Amino acid sequence: MNPFEVLGLAPVFAIDLKELEKRHRDLSRALHPDRFIGAGASERRASLNKAVEANEAWRVLRDSVSRAEALFRLAGVAVGERDEPMASPAFLMEVMEWREGLAEARAVRDVAAVMKLSGEVSARAMGSEEVLASTFGPKKPGSHELKLAQVQLGELRFYRRFLEEVSAIEEAWQDELPR
Amino acid sequence: MTLLEIFDPKAPPRPIGIDLGTTNSLVASVGSDRASVIEDCFGKTMVPSVVCYESDGTVIVGERAKELAAIRPSDTIVSVKRFMGRGADNEETRRMGPYRFVEPRDDEPNVVRFAVEGRPPVSPVEVSAEILRALKERAEDELRSVGGAVITVPAYFDDAQRQATKDAARLAGIEVLRLLNEPTAAALAYGLEHKKNGLFAVYDLGGGTFDVTVLLLDDGVFQVKATGGDSQLGGDDMDRAVAEIVLRKLGVSTEVSSRPEFIRALLDRSRSIKHGLTTAQAVDAEFALDTKQAQLRITRTEFEDAIRPLIDRTGVACRRALRDAGVKAEELDGVILVGGSTRVPAVREFVRAFFGREPLADIDPDQVVAIGAAIQADLLAGKGKDVLLLDVLPLSLGIEVGGGVVDKILPRNTSIPCGARATYTTQEDNQTGFQIHVVQGEREMAKDNRSLAHFTLKGIPPMPAGLARLEIELRVDADGLLGVSATEGTTGIAQAIDVKPSYGLDDAAVEQMLLDAFDHGEGDLLTRRLAEARVDAQRLVLATTKALMADADLLAPPESQRIEETLAHLKATISRNEPALITNAIDAVDGATRDFAGRRMNRAIAKALEGQTIDRVEKAVEHAKGIEAAHGSPLPPER
Repeated sequence: MNPFEVLGLAPVFAIDLKELEKRHRDLSRALHPDRFIGAGASERRASLNKAVEANEAWRVLRDSVSRAEALFRLAGVAVGERDEPMASPAFLMEVMEWREGLAEARAVRDVAAVMKLSGEVSARAMGSEEVLASTFGPKKPGSHELKLAQVQLGELRFYRRFLEEVSAIEEAWQDELPR
Repeated sequence: MTLLEIFDPKAPPRPIGIDLGTTNSLVASVGSDRASVIEDCFGKTMVPSVVCYESDGTVIVGERAKELAAIRPSDTIVSVKRFMGRGADNEETRRMGPYRFVEPRDDEPNVVRFAVEGRPPVSPVEVSAEILRALKERAEDELRSVGGAVITVPAYFDDAQRQATKDAARLAGIEVLRLLNEPTAAALAYGLEHKKNGLFAVYDLGGGTFDVTVLLLDDGVFQVKATGGDSQLGGDDMDRAVAEIVLRKLGVSTEVSSRPEFIRALLDRSRSIKHGLTTAQAVDAEFALDTKQAQLRITRTEFEDAIRPLIDRTGVACRRALRDAGVKAEELDGVILVGGSTRVPAVREFVRAFFGREPLADIDPDQVVAIGAAIQADLLAGKGKDVLLLDVLPLSLGIEVGGGVVDKILPRNTSIPCGARATYTTQEDNQTGFQIHVVQGEREMAKDNRSLAHFTLKGIPPMPAGLARLEIELRVDADGLLGVSATEGTTGIAQAIDVKPSYGLDDAAVEQMLLDAFDHGEGDLLTRRLAEARVDAQRLVLATTKALMADADLLAPPESQRIEETLAHLKATISRNEPALITNAIDAVDGATRDFAGRRMNRAIAKALEGQTIDRVEKAVEHAKGIEAAHGSPLPPER
């Protein structure tokens, strides 16, 4: 079963995150192994399997990158950096500039510069998510649309990693601060 | 304790909650109206987690053992929790302490062992089992018939530490209903007491461990968002910090300061000094050194300066937990204090400043975990269907791949139970086996993380490098315990795995300990096995009968007949005195109900998701009113 089926959601990118939480919650109430402590081994096993499945589906759908990957798989498109088109030279140039900017800001502890970079990249990430949302909407995407969306997925992965690095830097700075 | 109690011999066994603490342990249960900690005949709630081994083989646990520690420091194990699931070479064994450690031989499991009087060296699992046994006896004195137990563990305990705790319970003859994270237990106790919804942080600083957990309470569901901590940070470290100040001031020789009696006395006095500094600004202490008496004074400022680095370490963990949860301190609805070490004024002040609010501490921080555990035990026994705890994996799980790098398979803070698969291939031509190393932790290199287990996988047909497809599945159950399975993809053969825990006891070792314990005159192992099998059998008969009544329509007549037959056979074997016969009959029922169980589960899922339709209509109405307009996500179409 694909993660959308597991949680009974329509396979679109722009899912209602509150609804997702609620469905996971309701499924957990019904399936969690805590509900089957007194049951026989076969039911305990079945509950464990289904609870694992529900948690896994929830984890995949909560995150925009893994949700997009699930949608590509559903559309029959292989996922993974090896199977996807190469990033454009223009994008790679931008990436290099952002990376250099971050490295410099980190070296001189320029908090404002880091915030600015993180803001820029976040905005770009939202742009990619919008494209993915329009690709994977109620209507089935065509092959051309899927190709364009693949590029956005690749970029979104980069933005995600970049923002994680920003978090790591902020965290390191906070932990160093004398109280 | 109630003085007069009418005892019903047919009353069902009562589930209990156990807080197996570093310094003190407690047992609690839910009575007719509320959960409470079970006291001994002197009205004491806490059992010191201290075990003394006498030369005649006697084992003493608790208050009396604590007194004996002063005169028998090396045979009296204090704070054994800090050694649970740890290797013999762990740094904890090199800290200030009075013990005699035994180095394991090459053929022995790599676990800490203490040399004690009157018996072969004991492992932390065996020491903890003694504490659990004492708690179980205390519960039996009060409740007569004790059922299964919920045992709490620090949220930040890794797999080896959890497994060690479960092994200890098995040795003590306690059925573990669930291993529950301490902060989650505390939140349960608070949540049900105050009937509040919202986002909470639990700051739990105990005798030996620190946990911080961020969780969401929403209509009876306690959903852990993130957890963090340090399983080697607590009050014991504060005691050592005081001890170091004392040593500096006394200027004793290393000859004196390395004597076990001196170390034990020093650590005990340091603890009292720490307790004194909770209210006083300075504590005067007198130390007897050989023939002379030494006087010294320790001020609260000195103490606070010494423990500052420890408190700062809790801050690092708090920041990370908040970040992982995606929450800012000011968004929290409350902060709950747990653990005796949160009585230290500097700790409270830190929590107040860090979270920007007055923390909640109205349930005794020493008792709140045991009370939460008792509530959970009661819930698991079937009371109150509306409460559910959803916990997370505290540390990432991964597999070591080429170059010693970790391939993270399950990231930290994933909701449990969980599972994930990863595929690997062979490095060399005609490679017929795999070496698999499972690790837990956040570091990139395997060697910097906790090693959990090594597996060897054999019998892969010879083929060119890169062709074999080995699929490994890591699974974590609701106790936070790991299971591993592997399949070779090209042949489709599921491989049996040879498990070798890195810092733990394998099944055979625990089994041997059980046998040894019964050799030491702890009654009859067969009797215990029989009792356990009967409890399982009766439970299965009850559950299966109920399932047949509820969902008979899911069964075709031949299947239903087969279940009835195996069930009848099981009922017939319960009275027999052969545990093996009963377990076989249990397995038969289990086999016959496998498909039925799957179908029942699917029905439960359909029912759970069905409830959504109404909610969706309500939501649509809310949207129309514009209440959630800002959220703006499209509604999923009707199915």
